[in-house]
Amino acid sequence: MEGENQAEKALILIRSRICNPSYIFTPFSDSPESNYSKLKFIISNSVTEACNNSILLLGPRGCGKIAVLNLVLRDLLAEHPDMVSVIRLNGLLHSDDNCALKEIARQLCVEHQLLFSKMASFDDNSQFMISMLRECGLAHKTIIFVLDEFDLFAQGKQRLLYSLLDAMQSITSQAVVIGVSCRLDADQLLEKRVRSRFSHRKLLFLPPSKEELQRLLEHILSLPIDSSFSHDYAMEFNAKLHKIVGDCRFTEIVDTLSGSDSTVNHLLKFLFRAVCCMDLDFGFLTLENFKTAILSIQRQPKLECLQDCSVLELYILVCMKRLEDKEQNSYNFNSVMKEYKGIHDSYQTSDYYARNVCLRAFEHLLQRELICFTDNRGQSQSVEFRPVKLLISSHELYPGLKSNRSCPLAY
Amino acid sequence: MPSLIGNSSSALYGELDLIGSNKDKEKKSIKGEKIYEIQSKGNSTTQKRRLRSQTTRDSPISSPSKPCSPTKWKLPRRCISGSPNSSGISKESNDKLSRFSKSLQKRLSDTFLPKYSEQMNAVKEVLHVSTTPSVVVCREEEQKRVLELCKGCIEQEKAGSVYVCGCPGTGKSLSMEKVKQLLVGWAEEILEKYQPRKKISVALSPLQHLQNLFSQKKQSSGEKMMLIIVDELDYLITKDRSVLHDLFMLTTYPFSRCLLIGIANAIDLADRFLPRLQPLNCKPMVVTFRAYSKDQILKILQERLMALPYNAFQPQALELCARKVAAASGDMRKALCVCRSAIEMLEVELRDPTCNMNLVLVEKTLCGQQTAPPTEFSAKQEIDTVRVDHMAIALTKTFKSPVVDIIQSLPQHQQIILCSAVKLFRRGKKDTTVGELNRFYSDICKSVLIPQVGILELSSMCRGLSDQGLLKLGQSREDKLKRVTLQVDEADIIFALQGIRFFQNCLQ
Repeated sequence: MEGENQAEKALILIRSRICNPSYIFTPFSDSPESNYSKLKFIISNSVTEACNNSILLLGPRGCGKIAVLNLVLRDLLAEHPDMVSVIRLNGLLHSDDNCALKEIARQLCVEHQLLFSKMASFDDNSQFMISMLRECGLAHKTIIFVLDEFDLFAQGKQRLLYSLLDAMQSITSQAVVIGVSCRLDADQLLEKRVRSRFSHRKLLFLPPSKEELQRLLEHILSLPIDSSFSHDYAMEFNAKLHKIVGDCRFTEIVDTLSGSDSTVNHLLKFLFRAVCCMDLDFGFLTLENFKTAILSIQRQPKLECLQDCSVLELYILVCMKRLEDKEQNSYNFNSVMKEYKGIHDSYQTSDYYARNVCLRAFEHLLQRELICFTDNRGQSQSVEFRPVKLLISSHELYPGLKSNRSCPLAY
Repeated sequence: MPSLIGNSSSALYGELDLIGSNKDKEKKSIKGEKIYEIQSKGNSTTQKRRLRSQTTRDSPISSPSKPCSPTKWKLPRRCISGSPNSSGISKESNDKLSRFSKSLQKRLSDTFLPKYSEQMNAVKEVLHVSTTPSVVVCREEEQKRVLELCKGCIEQEKAGSVYVCGCPGTGKSLSMEKVKQLLVGWAEEILEKYQPRKKISVALSPLQHLQNLFSQKKQSSGEKMMLIIVDELDYLITKDRSVLHDLFMLTTYPFSRCLLIGIANAIDLADRFLPRLQPLNCKPMVVTFRAYSKDQILKILQERLMALPYNAFQPQALELCARKVAAASGDMRKALCVCRSAIEMLEVELRDPTCNMNLVLVEKTLCGQQTAPPTEFSAKQEIDTVRVDHMAIALTKTFKSPVVDIIQSLPQHQQIILCSAVKLFRRGKKDTTVGELNRFYSDICKSVLIPQVGILELSSMCRGLSDQGLLKLGQSREDKLKRVTLQVDEADIIFALQGIRFFQNCLQ
């Protein structure tokens, strides 16, 4: 009873940690070399020195750009409560200039408790924005514009970018423009006069290295040694965890995971699955949990389909493969039957079925989408005459054949 | 004998007169010698406001008569703090000595001690793009041309137009602002009979109204000339080019009284889009603003930094910056940006483990008031100014593209995909499909005995790479048939992966 409660509490704690981005990225923010400190330095300089600045955050998706930015903004708002106001725009929603200005005006109104009118025209909104910038500049209040999906703002005429960056060239305004993008060449997409006004500062967010990964794992999964958990339970949990993390099989699993996608988000999804597989009766994490998690991430749907096929269906698939190897570009059921007969004649197998049985198996395969028609025009023809093609590749077929329990062919 | 800089105009900048305006007159009465006021440690933002209000100069267009060499500024400092040869200053400093001795702390700001954030802030501000200097150097020629034309038009009461063109960051808008201010000043001073000009900076004005205004005969409202400055003229280009035409045709009306100055980037805008103006003989005068050369950039930077009484940059650092930026684009904003980030490099370096060194320096200057030998002083100053290595780091940060870093940090399979793309495209083809890429990818994996991922995961990795701008994926209903092209240079990929032997062998 007691143990289960502890295990449940531990599970809840770890799951809430994984879903909280500011917890995840705090250990990366300690050193002065980290992106957090650099970003904080730049923005707080702009706030205290009252100068304008612009910066671009680049990096693959899921590396924590917005999370770190939110951390920085949260700390800044705590330090200078009345001197900062934040406007957030997203390239997916607001890449059109009209929409963007309306959104800026609306957020400014909300921030300063003014009434926003939906009927305001584009000119009204832009006048409003310019005068707000001027007013905030005089009041020493910095406006921070966060432009998410920055590369989408760079489509079209880039009027919004130009007007924002141009407003920052004047003395009267006090603003910071932060662009966040996953395209590395986001600043090459800008027009030359917009690029000239942009200050060319870039912060690169890279996926974590192996050491950082280790640190992150321990940071997320270790239980705190304080009063919320019984001391013995927490110590044992952490000791077991440490043993698992040091195991070479675990390192292999993590390597496989990060071989295709090494971002933090991907790792978090994996950890979530692993933690959810934890056996509550046992109460601790095991290596098996992680193995299950990686298998569920690396599912191969077609392979699973093949495992359930009957022998005849597998025969048909193999025949189609052979036809393709012989460079026959279009074949239909009849040719497959011919090939099937050919195999039967040459190999003298006992699995020879009648034509209508084969046709039924063929239709099963069609329904399962392992094969399909090459064109949609021949609706009037019967199934036997329409050209078909394989939807699985050879390196999916072979393991499928191997893994099928009743497959007799040593292909 | 240290010679103080005798010329009055440029030295005015050294006096941030925060104590009182009567001091100004006092100083002017002192012949030929100036005292360099110490910046007080007031609120940095209020300081900023006051700095901007004090940009008075007598002849804005005249080029500064002396070459500015920042090293000269060190001499009077050394006088005050150290050597007994301060007779030049001692006369005036009697009444000021009380102020000097009052705050020993303040004396330390004679030199550039980066640990004082006010000094850093002042340097950064002077280098900020939004700070307009009161003299626009290196553009005197162009300003003169425009000014002459405008003055001529005003005197003869006829209309005229100018088209100003040039790359971004070459000082066009800045110079036109200056011209505008000068015109106002000139007109009010000399031609009092003219009423003050109505200046509009428009992007889109009610053209019809102006057209009516200019075609009417009776102008009973007096002799008012209108100066219209249109910035970013190419945004007005419509399909039938009517807006631009109408705007420039305003100058052709019989009673038109406007001076039109258009600013844009394209050099041949007037020829391409306004061919009808030629027969009417009202083609605008074209003033081209060339990109800045290395010497011009250097001069502008030094001019800006002369506002500060201390020496924050080493001359070699400034020269490196000017040379690099002039070779790249000649864009002044970039040069200012690089200088600011070099200052930040210095700040970061000093913030970290070398605070002890700063303390030592402070101690020495505190106790070595009268006897600090100049050489040691200047040696210490070398450490705390922006050096060539700071500038080099700032330059690489600005000009380097992040592609190489990103490629090196990609997960293994994505790197293999890039390699297979490189190998594929070496054969001359420039684009391929995902299916073929998959084939090459599986060949490479087989040759190195790495288990390959399936086609589904491969196409999602390709999509991730195209999000980042490394590949470009076309559209297709089927995943396998999407067209793939490389967006980065093959050389970049090879350079990024050169450290890994596996890829080296692969790419042979």
